[in-house]
Amino acid sequence: MSQISLHNVTKTYQIGEDNLVAVQDISLDIQSGDFISIVGHSGSGKTTLLSLIGGITTPTSGRISFEDMDLSAMGSDGLSEYRCQKIGFMFQFASLLPMLTVKENLLLPTMFVPGSERTDAAKLDDKAAELLRSVGLLDKINAFPCQLSGGQQRRVAIARSFMNNPALILADEPTGDLDEDTEQEMINFFKSMNQTIGITFVMVTHNTELASHTPRRLRMHQGSLQML
Amino acid sequence: MTERFTLSSLAIRNLRRRPLRTAILVAALTLMVASLIFALSFVMRVNASIQLTSERLGADLLIVPTGARGAAEDILVESHARSFYMNKSIIERVRKVAGIDKLSHQTYLVSLIGMCCSVPESMVVAFNQETDFVVKPWLKNKLGRNLKKGEAIVGEESAFNISLGLVEMEAQLFGNPFKMVGVLDKTGSGLDTAIFISDDNIEDIIKNSDAKIKADQISVIFAKIKKGADAYKVMSEIENNIVEVDVVMRKDIGKSLLSALSDIRKIFYFTMILSTILSLFLVWAIFTAIANERTREVGIMRALGAKEGHVVKLFLFEVLVLGVIGSIAGIIVGTSLSVLLAKNFSILKNLPIDIGLLSRMLIAAAGLLFGTGICVIGALSPLNRLKKLEPLIAIKQE
Repeated sequence: MSQISLHNVTKTYQIGEDNLVAVQDISLDIQSGDFISIVGHSGSGKTTLLSLIGGITTPTSGRISFEDMDLSAMGSDGLSEYRCQKIGFMFQFASLLPMLTVKENLLLPTMFVPGSERTDAAKLDDKAAELLRSVGLLDKINAFPCQLSGGQQRRVAIARSFMNNPALILADEPTGDLDEDTEQEMINFFKSMNQTIGITFVMVTHNTELASHTPRRLRMHQGSLQML
Repeated sequence: MTERFTLSSLAIRNLRRRPLRTAILVAALTLMVASLIFALSFVMRVNASIQLTSERLGADLLIVPTGARGAAEDILVESHARSFYMNKSIIERVRKVAGIDKLSHQTYLVSLIGMCCSVPESMVVAFNQETDFVVKPWLKNKLGRNLKKGEAIVGEESAFNISLGLVEMEAQLFGNPFKMVGVLDKTGSGLDTAIFISDDNIEDIIKNSDAKIKADQISVIFAKIKKGADAYKVMSEIENNIVEVDVVMRKDIGKSLLSALSDIRKIFYFTMILSTILSLFLVWAIFTAIANERTREVGIMRALGAKEGHVVKLFLFEVLVLGVIGSIAGIIVGTSLSVLLAKNFSILKNLPIDIGLLSRMLIAAAGLLFGTGICVIGALSPLNRLKKLEPLIAIKQE
């Protein structure tokens, strides 16, 4: 059984009277523990594809399932629980909440876990600290996002995506703001999480060099997906 | 112990992001609730005063000389000193009307310091002790006996009583010495400011002063009607048969005051409606701005697993905090204003009672509910739009 299955998935946006096809008739199976990279030009539909898999938008046609559960049958709350418990998002833009400290930004997704009020707050704090240590920002735990550089903010967002122990990480240009050394550190971190815990990674990037680190590489072009 | 990070702490953090905007919204709510509290306090105080007066008089009908209805209400409800007279023989004519059970009468005199009396301007009420059912219950409670000739008892709020702690004091009333034998308990009516004497003193008053009253004159007749009798019918019959009098029903006492106040009440209500609309609009506008400003954040939170319910809870918490703070501030301001400014409203100044603690608490609860409700209603539309947004669309918004 595939972890994620896309069957003839199409997503179109209506812009005025025109229909823009962002994703066209894509079928794809992703197995648990896969590490996939998707490369492609801007506007090729990479982010839309990640958003469809992550359940933050719905397909115009076709079917997406996670472990045989049809996302379209989940409803709004069901999709929220799916995102909360199964998915870790790394956005391509600054996605930290400005009024929260680094630690609070990491704790944010844990608030949405059903029954989270019964979870030991100290354990969550420890987990946040551990993840920050992994991305090299433990010393910034009480800083606010405005006190961090773009690259540091990106690393905090990376750490946050692991807070709820996701089964699948959807990473949209995750190393966009990082220097080469830090980029390599993050890729090593991803690989380690993939290999030791078995987290599935679907990573979108412009960077073909970065994509070359992944065992399975795909290319998106005008909404369609091709194997590399 | 590690403090748990919750939606409520997130909401408080959000409110602190724009302190000026939060303060403006709280101030607007404060003003709206304060004006509501002030208006309600004013109206309730007038109503309570009138209701208490009509209940405590113990009479079903009040019979006064034609045209003196307003003056009688001035005395009973507003504590003004007034005098008006009709012929005593009217008592027997009223007694003949079908449905009348008991009658008692009073005669009103106004004391003037330095002219006739040694006390400040007060209503002096001469009542008939044989027939009285208005003053006697209080008199019996306090003195335990009838007043003798040359004795007086004063109402609880009588000015000189309060200032002098008057008991067993000699005072000059209309050229006659009177011994003040006690202070009546508070009745809640305008008579609390009066001095009561027995009407067998009137002869001496006429003899020893310039009081413009004749021996055969009285001011008011209080009537109790028989059980089962129709008060309207009795009133109509009195007014049809005795043209020299006006009749006021118990439930109509204070009607002329209420009618005089109706324009003030309309202004209050109109102001309330306007300030409510303005506050609703302000809350809507501010929360629309907040929703627009935080659309992307909400999108990120939804992508991280927040349900629509989480978004609603987060914003409702902010709305409720604002509503409760604004309302409590409004209750404090409104209550203070209603107490402090009461002295500047002649109508309130003369009303014998203030509203009780329970009424004040009810008004405060109404203010809290109203202020918070306005906040919630104003925020509903932008909140509903925000929670329904697809996370990807929300994230893409700048």
